[in-house]
Amino acid sequence: MIRFENVSKTYKNGTSALKDISLDIEKGEFVFLVGASGSGKTTFLRLLLREEHPDQGRILEAGRDIGELPKWRVPYLRRNIGCVFQDFRLLPNKNVFENVAFALEGIGRPRSTVESQVPQILELVGLTDKSKNLPHELSGGEQQRVAVARAFVNRPLILLADEPTGNLDPSNSESIMALLERINRTGTTVVMATHDKALVDRMRRRVVELDKGEMIRDQVRGVYGIDEGVSL
Amino acid sequence: MRVYFRYAFKETFSNLWRNRMMTIAAVLTVAVSLSLVGSALLLKQSAAQASAQWQQGTRVTVWMQPTASSSEINGIRTQLANLPIVKSCVFYTQAQDYKEALQLLPPSESDVLKVTDMPSSFRCIPTVPSDAFVVESTFATQPGVYKVTAPEQQIREMNRAIRILQIVFLALAAVLLLSATVLILNTIRMAIFARRREVSVMKLVGATNWFIRIPYITEGFIQGLLGSIVAMLAVTALHTWYPLHNEFQLNTSALVGTNAVVLIVGVVIGSVGSAIAIRRFLDV
Repeated sequence: MIRFENVSKTYKNGTSALKDISLDIEKGEFVFLVGASGSGKTTFLRLLLREEHPDQGRILEAGRDIGELPKWRVPYLRRNIGCVFQDFRLLPNKNVFENVAFALEGIGRPRSTVESQVPQILELVGLTDKSKNLPHELSGGEQQRVAVARAFVNRPLILLADEPTGNLDPSNSESIMALLERINRTGTTVVMATHDKALVDRMRRRVVELDKGEMIRDQVRGVYGIDEGVSL
Repeated sequence: MRVYFRYAFKETFSNLWRNRMMTIAAVLTVAVSLSLVGSALLLKQSAAQASAQWQQGTRVTVWMQPTASSSEINGIRTQLANLPIVKSCVFYTQAQDYKEALQLLPPSESDVLKVTDMPSSFRCIPTVPSDAFVVESTFATQPGVYKVTAPEQQIREMNRAIRILQIVFLALAAVLLLSATVLILNTIRMAIFARRREVSVMKLVGATNWFIRIPYITEGFIQGLLGSIVAMLAVTALHTWYPLHNEFQLNTSALVGTNAVVLIVGVVIGSVGSAIAIRRFLDV
């Protein structure tokens, strides 16, 4: 589903964000991207969205080299990728229903699709009774669930999450993770960048660790920090 | 498609309403500048028409000396008759000219005038209006001729005055049109800036650039359109009330043409201004 071939990225100010990364992520996989701040996790996700271009190497999504897409095709690429962020990025003047519907309206889906899909997805994230509320009337966990609903309402092939639990308490993190797992079970590939050690350790999913732009670990059923596993 | 139509419509009008002060400023600037452009165009057309009409009836008047002998008068008459550039001539005797002068001059001046002071004259119509000058240069120095006058000179001066006026109008209009474009650009930029979160979310979910762009371009288009409607009203009012004299009165087709120019310039300015404004925000 996602393939990095010797990808390197250096920003204009000289910061080397990714160095010679090669990896494959299969359809339906759940991958944790871990590493300290500045290790290149966000760059990794931005490359997948084609918000940035690699300096070297190429990135394939669903078998296509996304570097070769013409600029006007980029929006269509993004329709296959859902995104969730640490800061939710909801529109403050739209209610829950409208925020989720916006993702469908923004790509020109007809009203009938909006009216059938949005309640369905709101039920999935458990916010049916809050659909008329504005974001500021919700808790952080609820807001993030709205954001997940928005990312998933279009049934993308890939879901990217950039520290989705970064602003949440453990129990809310828990419910977000449960949601992401559920989405993953529908066959959606999930790539999640995170700092949350407890989560990663408990989930036992594939872990890719970055350090200063280099991939130092790719473990099928990993934990957050490998050395902590052996320290007794 | 229908969904998008509704969406674009809603976005456009909520943007216009949200930035209504800037919208009013932009619309008024467009209106003022386009009114000037329209007036300049009308002025040009009506001046051209008036001078054509005057020239149609151009007369060259050959004034004889009051003391000119009848042989001198006859000599001029024959020459005028043989000159191909002169279409026709009418001879006014001293008595006829005196009568005309009495009508034209105020009593204080005409009272001291005597018939014998009056020159007799030939009122001639040249075949081609611009030949009036040739007639003037040919006859001014002939014996018995007092003076040759042609209105050509006045027409020329009038035309020059109108041309200068027109240049001033157009220069003003150009400056104002530029400021109108910048104002529209600025309103759109503000509108986009106010909604940058929405724009970024739209880009994130995969909205195409045109999808995002069209409401803003429509907004600029409407600002230009409103401005040009006001300007068209002003131009029409000018067309109706300004004519000092029948000769300046233009027909309706000239008005329609001018209004069409005003309308097109207005909507182009609006659309182009907003298209420029939005470019920077949509870089992927």
